Amino acid sequence: MTKRPFLGWFASPSILIAFGIAASFLAIVQYSFRANIPGALDPGGFTLENFTTLWKAIYGDAFLNTVLLCLWTAVFTLLIGYPLAYAMVRARSVRLRSAILLISLTPLFLGEIVRTYSWMIVLGNRGFLNAALMQMGLIDRPIPFMFTMTGVVIALVHFTLPIVVVMLAAGLSHIDRNLERAATSLGAGRVRVFLTVTLPLSIPGIVAATSTAFAWTFSAFATPQMIGGGQVQTISTLVYQVGFASFNFPLAASLSLTGLLFTVAVLAIFNTGIRRLERIGGH
Amino acid sequence: MRKSLLDHLLDWAGRIVLIAILAFVLLPFVVVAIASFNDGAILSFPPREWSWRWYANAFQYRDFGAGLTNSLKIAVFGATIALIAGAGFAYVLDRYEFRFKNTLNGILMSPLIIPNFTIGLGLLILSAAASLPRNLWLVVATHVVIVMPFVVRSVYVSLQNFERRFEQAAESLGGSPWHVLRTITLPLLAPGLASGGLFAAILSFNEFTASLFVVNQSTQTLPVAMYNYVREYADPTLAAVSVIYVLAVAVILLIVHKFFRLEKVLNVE
Amino acid sequence: MSSETRNDAAVQIDGVSKSFSGTVALEPIWLKIRRGEFLTLLGPSGCGKTTLLNLIAGFLEADEGELFIDRELVTQVPPHQREIGIVFQNYALFPHMTVAQNVAYGLRTRRVSKAETAERVAEALALVKLQDFADRRPRQLSGGQQQRVALARALVIRPRVLLLDEPFSALDRNLRTAMQVELREIQTRLGLTTVFVTHDQNEALSMSDRIAVMSQGRVRQIGAPDDIYDRPANLFVSTFVGDANLFDATLQGVQGGAAELIVGGAPLPVETYQEDLPEPGPVTLFVRPEQCRLTGAEEQGAVPAIVALSVYQGSYAELHLDCAAARGGRIMLRVPAAKALPAGIPVGIALPRTGPAIYAVEDADKEVA
Repeated sequence: MTKRPFLGWFASPSILIAFGIAASFLAIVQYSFRANIPGALDPGGFTLENFTTLWKAIYGDAFLNTVLLCLWTAVFTLLIGYPLAYAMVRARSVRLRSAILLISLTPLFLGEIVRTYSWMIVLGNRGFLNAALMQMGLIDRPIPFMFTMTGVVIALVHFTLPIVVVMLAAGLSHIDRNLERAATSLGAGRVRVFLTVTLPLSIPGIVAATSTAFAWTFSAFATPQMIGGGQVQTISTLVYQVGFASFNFPLAASLSLTGLLFTVAVLAIFNTGIRRLERIGGH
Repeated sequence: MRKSLLDHLLDWAGRIVLIAILAFVLLPFVVVAIASFNDGAILSFPPREWSWRWYANAFQYRDFGAGLTNSLKIAVFGATIALIAGAGFAYVLDRYEFRFKNTLNGILMSPLIIPNFTIGLGLLILSAAASLPRNLWLVVATHVVIVMPFVVRSVYVSLQNFERRFEQAAESLGGSPWHVLRTITLPLLAPGLASGGLFAAILSFNEFTASLFVVNQSTQTLPVAMYNYVREYADPTLAAVSVIYVLAVAVILLIVHKFFRLEKVLNVE
Repeated sequence: MSSETRNDAAVQIDGVSKSFSGTVALEPIWLKIRRGEFLTLLGPSGCGKTTLLNLIAGFLEADEGELFIDRELVTQVPPHQREIGIVFQNYALFPHMTVAQNVAYGLRTRRVSKAETAERVAEALALVKLQDFADRRPRQLSGGQQQRVALARALVIRPRVLLLDEPFSALDRNLRTAMQVELREIQTRLGLTTVFVTHDQNEALSMSDRIAVMSQGRVRQIGAPDDIYDRPANLFVSTFVGDANLFDATLQGVQGGAAELIVGGAPLPVETYQEDLPEPGPVTLFVRPEQCRLTGAEEQGAVPAIVALSVYQGSYAELHLDCAAARGGRIMLRVPAAKALPAGIPVGIALPRTGPAIYAVEDADKEVA
């Protein structure tokens, strides 16, 4: 009896793709240990120089900026995303739920460029926000949002929000409503029910959403590139600049590799945190 | 049941917060829509003169047309390949035990945490090292790698919810494994496969960062063409393109929502 | 083994066993299912009955042992070549096909001609009285109708064995009884060898030619329904099938087919059908509620008890009694509803001289179902 009749047929294409992924990863590892020959596309001999270069201030700043962006974005996205997810799952009318769902998720399918460009128009010196504030007489001179961390964080929060809402909503929708009803029947008011039942039970969703927000922000390129305009350098913008402005692909590769290791380390810490939380939750 | 004052306050506070958040989500799209009708090349709010000229400009700009064609080709090919490979892998992942299963799964899922710029750089270096041409297929391959995990996840969830009894009943009635796959499994999985493929196509159509690394002038996708336009021109043509883009996506999503219900697709019921 | 007995077996299970990642689901099992027989696998969930069914169907592969269907060795034969009909608990009707297409599925896989397929589908639907529903979709049918379709689909291929996996559990009570009668009629008419899996003892008692009572991966007793009910082979069977009252007793000795017992301080000679009586000493005495008779508290030789609760059941009442001599301190009797007693009344229980079974105490500790 053949118990796995489709194994070969079904696994082969994905094995091929997996080899492609592994090969491109090895290409990055390999390049990151090669010397750059200015003007030539092929790399030189083996060296550790790329990694010692990373200690220079501009690279350090890029790492620091990236971490700060990730942190701020995660905090604000969660603060905004949680009420939205809650309303999406719990609103009483089906129409309202559908409307919230469509409004908050459509941006997920719009890509980085459209969204970032739209924020450029909102945040620019002659943009909507400054025009509105000036017309209301609240400010005399435009507040600079473009080319600042603040501007980048605002756009990144908007960029990360939909996926965070999806993950929070998934977590919230799996909470048994009867637990909340039980708490209410035991005399807890709405605030207490939320703080003692709903919020603790949604912690796994919050942690998962936070780690995803981190990965998305870390990976973001168009937003810091277009809104940061070179003034807010992140790892992604730096990799692009080193690769396509200086054609120093070995250095770009080593930057990418370091960034990737950093991501993996952060996500690993998150995962440990999740497991610990799940143990507390008694799963 | 009578509500206390606190309950009323909470209700109102909740509504205000919700409206504010929805306004934040919608704000850039409303602003970009207004800007797209701004007659002058330099933005001003509110616009002094209104016109459709930037829409006309958008349709006349060659790179957008070429980018759209490329993007559609890439999305169709990429999503199809990712769907075939991803559905096959989801099946063996759900049904079989085999050696290196976890390794294979780990590698195929890794693009979920590897930043897109790293994926793009890696495939660019790989294609250069292997002296592969930087043609459309390189972009397609890049997109397949990026959207595969989403297809695998979506099909895997469908398979997990799949009632194995249907297959067992068909087998007991004399259906060979291939026959059962063709007449029972695939037809019943069709909605899951369709939504997975559609999701993959949309992701691919939107992908920008990795594409930027692997395209050249002739293979640039619509998002790359749009990015290049912003770097060269400051006029609101891109606002017009964005409005069309948003409307197209919203219409597609509404249709998908009608047929599949997004709550289900995204597992937030 | 003589060739004659083997000819008689539609399904023969020779030492088949199955474990799942180290956990034994089925101990090596030997079982012969006779041609045309309605055999029920009865047991609590996790007893291995469904595993055995899946092994017969071929959805699972046996760890060891051999399986014959119609004398053909099928241990290594995949399910689609076993020619077995199955009705599942939730029917597993293909939702994307009409009723007729569902029933025709097994004929299409056999490449039966179109004309013959149409004829046989019509015949099968007539058998289950669903001629008029051929073009409906499964979800447009009621639960009972869906079950008929599932049955027609399984019967139309003229299976060598029909397997039924708890097919009635999704039906409400009235419909269930009607379907049970109908299924049994069809099965008898077609002379179809049938293996029926259930955890419902009433279903098993009312439908089967023979019942195999299973627990913890083993067959604990196999026999006709009245054998199982009246002469349970062990404490597990006695408590799983039907209601049981258990008493702590002392076995003093056996004299000429009669066991001398002390129950609740009073002597009780019992005529026993058992061949393997435990050693003299403390034992567990098993009596069906209907074998116990309610008496006055003072009656000579009766076991004293006090009414704890009376539960009205329509035609009768259940009396739950506190009884010091009973295992767990509780026994239950059925009395005509009019004779129900209020709580607190002291009563006596007269135990029968024939019928009760005597089991060793240590069995009782681990085996009460």
